[in-house]
Amino acid sequence: MSETRKIIRQALVIGVLGVLLGAAVHLPLVKRFARGEFRETFFFQADYPGVVLITIQEAEDLWAAGETIFFDARGAGLYGEGHVPRARNLPEAESRQKFPADILELPRKRALVVYCEGGDCQSSLLLAKRLHDEGFKDIRVMTGGWEEWIKAGLPTETGDAEK
Amino acid sequence: MLKNKTLLLVFRLTLGGLFVYAGIFKVLDPLDFAQNIRNYRLVGQSLSFIAAVVLPWLEILAGLALAAGIWKRVSALIISGLLVFFILLTLVTILRGLDVDCGCFGALSRKSGLGVIFEDTGMLFMGLCLLFAPAKRP
Repeated sequence: MSETRKIIRQALVIGVLGVLLGAAVHLPLVKRFARGEFRETFFFQADYPGVVLITIQEAEDLWAAGETIFFDARGAGLYGEGHVPRARNLPEAESRQKFPADILELPRKRALVVYCEGGDCQSSLLLAKRLHDEGFKDIRVMTGGWEEWIKAGLPTETGDAEK
Repeated sequence: MLKNKTLLLVFRLTLGGLFVYAGIFKVLDPLDFAQNIRNYRLVGQSLSFIAAVVLPWLEILAGLALAAGIWKRVSALIISGLLVFFILLTLVTILRGLDVDCGCFGALSRKSGLGVIFEDTGMLFMGLCLLFAPAKRP
């Protein structure tokens, strides 16, 4: 019995220490959390100055102008079933691989739009961060994603990723 | 019950070391880890944040204690408990067909899948051996 009690006590000590250390080491973040930040997203805009969230309407305008490259962050299967016309498939699930060479050769000022399924999908944001880390300066995240794009009745395209 | 002292020592150092290593990676980028937790779509934004702040330290503390041989039993218990939780979490994630990063080792994480379950099971085996190792004779 005393053995069990000892283990519970030690576990509590480790738990409390963990909470204290976490709070102490990340005090600035915890303060911001207490002020109400991070309730919507963990994405910290200031860390990624070139990444902007845009609406479907803005995305549509960019798409219609034809100057912007669209990236679809979903898996190849979903991409094949339907995607934004001319969008490139860059599955975020394969994010351990490097970007294809032709993407790395793009001018870093080129405007890019990334999207994923929609709802609270996160892969477009992750892709945007990685593109940012590659030095791209103008990355827009279409927050409504594919779901909103279809709902808005915008053009679609099916088929596998072009090589 | 495993009694080989050398093997138990190797298990202690390996498992403790791995947990410290995994914890440090997560401490370095808490927001990234919080996002990882959120991606599993089991808990909300606030709980993901709190877990991302606290969980890595539990891993580090339990890992350090286990490797150093202080409070071996309780640290093996915490680590085994976490591993059981990780395995269940990964199973549920596979069953739900979610495509997420496991978040196991910060930036070195891979996709959550069977590979992760195998690894975790291997670690759990070590954890249980340590948890049920014979107590030191006085």
